[in-house]
Amino acid sequence: MTDLERKAGRRALRHKRYAARILRTTFRQWGARLGLLWIGIVAFVAVFAPFLANSRPLLVSVDGVVSSPVVEALGAADVTWMVAFVTLLLTMLLPIGWGKRIVVVLLAALASASLAPRWFQPPTLVVHEHHREQVARGAYDWQVFPPVPYSPRDYLRDQGDTGFQPPSRAHWMGTEENGADVLSRMIHASRIALGIGLVATGIAMVIGVIIGGLMGYFSGIVDIVGMRLVEIFEAIPTLFLLLTFVAFFGRNLYIMMIIIGLTGWTGYARYLRAEFLKLRQQDFVQAAIAAGASTPSILFRHMLPNGIAPVLVAASFGFASAILAEATLSFLGLGLVDSPSWGQMLNQAVRSSAFNWWMAIFPGGAIFLTVFAYNLIGDALRDAIDPKLGGSRAA
Amino acid sequence: MLSYILRRLLLMIPTLLGISLVVFITMAAAPGGISSQALIDDFGLNPQEKAALQEYYNRRYGLDQPAPMQYLRWLNNVSPIGFELREDGSFGDFSFTKGADLGDSFRYGRKVTDLLAERLPITLLLNVLTIPVIYLVAIVVGVQAARDRGGSFDVTSSVVMLALWSVPTMLVGVLLIGFFANDQYWHWFPTSGLSDRQALDMPFLPHWSSFGDVLRFFGAALGGLWLATLVGRWPSKTVRTLAAVLAAVALTVWMVSALPGGGAAWVYLVAGVAIGLPLLGLARTDYRAFRIGGLGLLGLVVGGAAGAVWMEGDFVRGFLLDRLWHLILPVICLSYGGFAFLARLTRSAVLENLQSDFARTARAKGVPEQEVLWKHVFRNSLLPLITVSAGLLPGLLGGSIIVESIFSIDGMGKLAVEAVTGRDRELVLSIALIGGFLTLVGYLLADILYAIADPRVSYD
Repeated sequence: MTDLERKAGRRALRHKRYAARILRTTFRQWGARLGLLWIGIVAFVAVFAPFLANSRPLLVSVDGVVSSPVVEALGAADVTWMVAFVTLLLTMLLPIGWGKRIVVVLLAALASASLAPRWFQPPTLVVHEHHREQVARGAYDWQVFPPVPYSPRDYLRDQGDTGFQPPSRAHWMGTEENGADVLSRMIHASRIALGIGLVATGIAMVIGVIIGGLMGYFSGIVDIVGMRLVEIFEAIPTLFLLLTFVAFFGRNLYIMMIIIGLTGWTGYARYLRAEFLKLRQQDFVQAAIAAGASTPSILFRHMLPNGIAPVLVAASFGFASAILAEATLSFLGLGLVDSPSWGQMLNQAVRSSAFNWWMAIFPGGAIFLTVFAYNLIGDALRDAIDPKLGGSRAA
Repeated sequence: MLSYILRRLLLMIPTLLGISLVVFITMAAAPGGISSQALIDDFGLNPQEKAALQEYYNRRYGLDQPAPMQYLRWLNNVSPIGFELREDGSFGDFSFTKGADLGDSFRYGRKVTDLLAERLPITLLLNVLTIPVIYLVAIVVGVQAARDRGGSFDVTSSVVMLALWSVPTMLVGVLLIGFFANDQYWHWFPTSGLSDRQALDMPFLPHWSSFGDVLRFFGAALGGLWLATLVGRWPSKTVRTLAAVLAAVALTVWMVSALPGGGAAWVYLVAGVAIGLPLLGLARTDYRAFRIGGLGLLGLVVGGAAGAVWMEGDFVRGFLLDRLWHLILPVICLSYGGFAFLARLTRSAVLENLQSDFARTARAKGVPEQEVLWKHVFRNSLLPLITVSAGLLPGLLGGSIIVESIFSIDGMGKLAVEAVTGRDRELVLSIALIGGFLTLVGYLLADILYAIADPRVSYD
């Protein structure tokens, strides 16, 4: 038994080395590096959105007492984002595998999402111009405003009519029809793009891996039934299925994530099925079966690490298409109602009577760059894993 | 082959059933679901009218029945054989000749079949125009990228195609409409729809009022074409670059000065870069056919536009030209994503075959390179392209949802959005069914084409 264990350990080591090698070759390409850089920027902006764009000052001093209105107004969602980010950074320092790392980050995010609402209760009544008025009155000794001193839903009521202003020094990316700052809205919307990409792809991957793995491992009747299911989901135009789901189930952020995940799993299932059909003939799987390993153990410990590569490549493209899906739905007026997202901002640009280029180019450009970044990484990853895999990704 | 096609057609039935089931379950499981109450909620009626309307919907569509019954009822209506439906909503005798009926739309109060017959041709027209564009560009770019592996054309086209593939359709649509169909900038194209109202009374073909105008128009267009091809064929790269710079400067000045209110210096700069970069790239590339074709097309368009401005008499553009004029922007929107994806695929397929043994053998026995490429390599590279073409059709149908809502074209895509937002049960189910059917037909066509392209494949 010890022998087997040692063997498994050695295989895990080799696997890790393989993964490291893949990552090295992937990020040797400048395209993938640029992509990663942009994703990093978006992630940073998303995590620290309240500190980057907010009508509240970062720090104020009233009669010598320094306080931070931004921190006082942090909500549970803000805290959860930061906890997840910091946990991710901390786990990067630890020598553990990516699977464990993801689990740790997920647990931390879940814990903070359930605990944070107790301690962080932002004031329900928000007067955006409050701090600007205080400053004008000279109530503060000194104050530090964020780089973009406007909240996404600060319609600048104290500054008269500020709607449809082209980019200027005060509003770097102009203002939308209600007078809110476009840049501030974009900064806060980056959370939706990033969050939807991650969670929806995660859901799709879990469903796809389970169904695809079962199809490939058991084949026979399971395979036939599963493939019919895949075929059914692939035969309905994805966008139409999404539209139907969203139109009937409402427009909550979490529902959107689940729905985009539910409609996007077929590709992963196909890839994993093909891999597992190949793998189950191989000696190490047969050996695992002969040694009496349990089915979940065979599936997830022995076969999955060897067949996951194409799924990961597909996932990288999946992030891109999930972001696009959310943007498209929001653009069609079926997206989130309560918070700005990049697609919804693009929709705003269309609905206004005149064409204001800054309302279209900046959010649209952000969608494009993020999707492009994920595609660049996916492309490089695919080349690194298997040069022959190129082009097997049919719609 | 025939028995194979028949078998595939029969196999579609369970898949289509599955599709309708998935869509129906989605609708029925939603909060509010499909009930007459959800349908008339936002009509703003008084209670009696509401009750009467609910009663009417319930009787007409059987909405008060439990969801499984509703589904079976719908299924019975759709299938060509089944129980006949009486006027009062109860079922009559079993019949083999009752015919399929997709039902009436809740919102439109019309037969779904009529609605589809109105909308489907428009979407198909868009797609029929788009698919050749996609394949043409993809093959022209992809084959050359593969031949030029690692060269400047390959690297540039790979990056450009990946970037194009990542551009969201709605961004392109919004920008095209905003800049080129808008009084604020250049109002070259119509903003919405498929034809102007006046165009419906026009003759089919364009008419010029005088022979001089005909000469002016075609003369300018052909002159542009000739000049552009002349530049494109010029062997010296320096001369071509110079000509491209001159053309870019001229075009920029012409376009920016045509802006209402003129342009600031930075507008000239941005427009100059946006026009100049692709033009320079086109003029400097070593891929001759691509260069001449691209520049020629550009010259033809610019010359034609100049000729149109130059004409003096009245010009009736006619129905055909009007329709094409309305279709240009939507087709651009629909096609670029497709050819970007397909060009990358073509590249990898051709690349694989270029290095294969049979290509080397062909070269070794003295077959000219062009013939090796097109007769041996390309024919073999067609297979993955055909496989993908099956997925292209549903992709375009999905894409037309966005494009049709941006350009206000009354096709299937727009109908789909209206149907789901209006919770129109019959319409949603029918559109899902049609979409699924077209997709499955696409797969079947791809499999048949596969057998045609590759004699080794046989289904008998």
